[in-house]
Amino acid sequence: MKRLLLLLALAAPSFAQIVSATSHGAVVAHDGRIHLDRGWTADGVQNATAIVVGPDRVAVLDALNNEAVIADLTTGKTTRVRTAETPIAGAFVGRDLYILARDARLVERIDGPRFRVDPDPAFLREAGGRLYVYSRATGVIEEIGTKRRVTVAPFASDFEISGSTAYLAFPREARIRMVDLRTMKPRGAVTVGAVPVDLAFAGGGTALTARILAVADPSAKRVWLTETTQSTAQAIARGFLRGFLGLGLFGSRSSQFPTGVDRVAVRDKLWVAYDSSSGTLYRFTKSKSSVIAKGIAPQGFALTAGGVVYWKDGTLVAQERAR
Amino acid sequence: MRRPSVIPSVSLAPRPRRSLATLGMTLLFAFPLLAQQPRIASDFEIAQMEKQLARSQSFEAQLSGRLNLGDLRAARSELSLARAEYGRAYELAERERLDARRDSSLSRYATATSYAGLAQAKLGRKGRAFELLEESARYASDDAESWNVYASAMRALGYPRKAASAARNAVALAKKPLDVAIYQHALATALLESGENDEAERLLVTVAESLRSSKFEALQREVARGESFEIYTSARGDVAAYVSLLNRAQLRLAALYEQRGDAERARTQYRRVLDARSDDASALAGLARLAATDAERERLYAEAFEANPFSMALIREYQHHVIPSVSEGPGREGLRDPALTGPSLTLGMTMRKAVVQLTRGDNRAARETLDALLVKFPENETLRTLRREAEQTRPASLPSPVPTENELRALLDSFERLTPEQRVALDRASFTSVATFANAQVANQQTVFESGTIAGVPFRFSEPMAFNGVFGVSARLTYRILGITRAGDADALLLEPLGVQP
Repeated sequence: MKRLLLLLALAAPSFAQIVSATSHGAVVAHDGRIHLDRGWTADGVQNATAIVVGPDRVAVLDALNNEAVIADLTTGKTTRVRTAETPIAGAFVGRDLYILARDARLVERIDGPRFRVDPDPAFLREAGGRLYVYSRATGVIEEIGTKRRVTVAPFASDFEISGSTAYLAFPREARIRMVDLRTMKPRGAVTVGAVPVDLAFAGGGTALTARILAVADPSAKRVWLTETTQSTAQAIARGFLRGFLGLGLFGSRSSQFPTGVDRVAVRDKLWVAYDSSSGTLYRFTKSKSSVIAKGIAPQGFALTAGGVVYWKDGTLVAQERAR
Repeated sequence: MRRPSVIPSVSLAPRPRRSLATLGMTLLFAFPLLAQQPRIASDFEIAQMEKQLARSQSFEAQLSGRLNLGDLRAARSELSLARAEYGRAYELAERERLDARRDSSLSRYATATSYAGLAQAKLGRKGRAFELLEESARYASDDAESWNVYASAMRALGYPRKAASAARNAVALAKKPLDVAIYQHALATALLESGENDEAERLLVTVAESLRSSKFEALQREVARGESFEIYTSARGDVAAYVSLLNRAQLRLAALYEQRGDAERARTQYRRVLDARSDDASALAGLARLAATDAERERLYAEAFEANPFSMALIREYQHHVIPSVSEGPGREGLRDPALTGPSLTLGMTMRKAVVQLTRGDNRAARETLDALLVKFPENETLRTLRREAEQTRPASLPSPVPTENELRALLDSFERLTPEQRVALDRASFTSVATFANAQVANQQTVFESGTIAGVPFRFSEPMAFNGVFGVSARLTYRILGITRAGDADALLLEPLGVQP
């Protein structure tokens, strides 16, 4: 019984606390408030479910109550807006805030037009001033405001963009698929681990190096480091062609992620991984990992220029990069 | 059996896929139709679920047992017991989440996460529920049953539009006819709650007709052979799912027809429900609302109360539909229960008696009835709620010289709270009412009275009193009010007669 209680305590991190890194420092949304670390505090939303970060503003979304509060990072002045059904994500493009309302199946520009998208739109990403939505049910990526779209495959668990390439993680088929957003055409797929769920960019992507992906695989209890494919032209320019390399950091038998990790985040040389089942946040390198904190909410941490910050027991805790 | 492939043991590989569907359990309803319609008497289902919990330690058996028990308790207004069951369901799901992750079984993890989210939703914890459901969707956005659970959780939290969206995903992903019907029903329910009745009706007609068609002939035979009738919210197996779904689809369709005034179609659907289960409280109450006569209405409500005595929805409806419209006769059945005291007084009758007492302002009597029930059902929220209502007191006031029924009942209820000044004023005041006497005895041009009623309010004298003249049972009585006494098993006014006139 004692063990069960302990497990439950670990497995039930506090919720509805969201931390994001901004140009002005970490912002946390909790208990109906928005707080800039060492700065202002303002009224927020009842159930914070996401924070959208822009250069000088943030928008805290409440997917349950169809509401967003936009806060000026300098002054803390807020504006409250109603959204369409279930705002789950957003992006600032210039001065405009766009919100993806999943259950309304649309992207809306606040005080502007609305754009219909495919069923179960799950991700909204910005690249080069353009917005892209991936819809899980149809497996389609749509470029908002244009008619450009491409069918990839349904049921991806993550969608990220680097440069002009989109990357999608497909846990069921253990693949990462890529799409060239310039041509809106699939650019191949590779097998990664057993159940790749989340991905982040861990370097590379220069004229001489290929993009390196960090892929969280909770089934293998590993974070995979994988070089992405390059175009033939790039490969020829570098003189050789490198394929995908699966660099499993930890084996499943001796994993330092006992229940696996399913989220990964990278900023410069700082790599962290997170286990949603236990609420455990790890720092890791290619050779080792260490627990940063337990009982953290899935969105209760962020990487800043100085290190990692997380919300724990009602306090924003900062762990310096140098540690 | 539906979906015979229950949980495989540890699976290191994520494929082959395992979904909620293969868990062997289908979530039919977010919670009972409590809010809209009273639920059936559920002793049998509760016993079945308790047996299931004792018999099988598997995750799916324990989880469905806890969720069903929670819903069954909630339908009986045993809310603290219901919350305890949902809490246990959450603990089970959380433990399963961790175990599944340790075993690298991500499908198991997604399933457990989904149900943990549902349990949190039933506990009213919105933020955590949403977080868990989103987590599940990361892994299982291709799983129809996961979306069905998502929809159910959103309904439980009061977000029908989000529920409808999730249910649409489930419908789009479903393959087997029974699954399609289940998710269409979930979608229709969410649409109804969103006020989108037209699409909901089309879906419900499709579901009901489909379930009754030859497409489900094999299941229909199995249902008949097994004499299955239990209604669950988390059904294990095709038969249980079929029976429960047909019941709910027809009930919802009937309610929809009733709402738009199509009484005949509504009756047809309610009767079909009763064909399968004659003690369905929702169908009985529905037919009661549509009854042609007061007597028929009262009979049907009486049956509904026997099926689910503690449904607050039924009680409110009974108070609204029956009591104000019936001054005498069948509607007074509850008050006539004294004749039925003893073993023959059923729980349903006693509840109706309490409701009638409460509605008529007999708060003292209602408290007594409810207190006796609370001894037997201390966790029942309906009884507690009614007891609180019976306790609510208005400031005591004196009746007017020709008192109304309400004034006399208010005095009966609040006599102890009269101020000393009001007591003095009452002692000095006299009142006149038309009384209906009981047991009049005439001898030597005198009529002896001892008790009776004034506007239905019982009274008695301190002793039999002889009045000069011969009077009928109804006479004009001038009196003083001395206090409160008992007449039979009810409270009564203790009166001092000052005179009687024909």
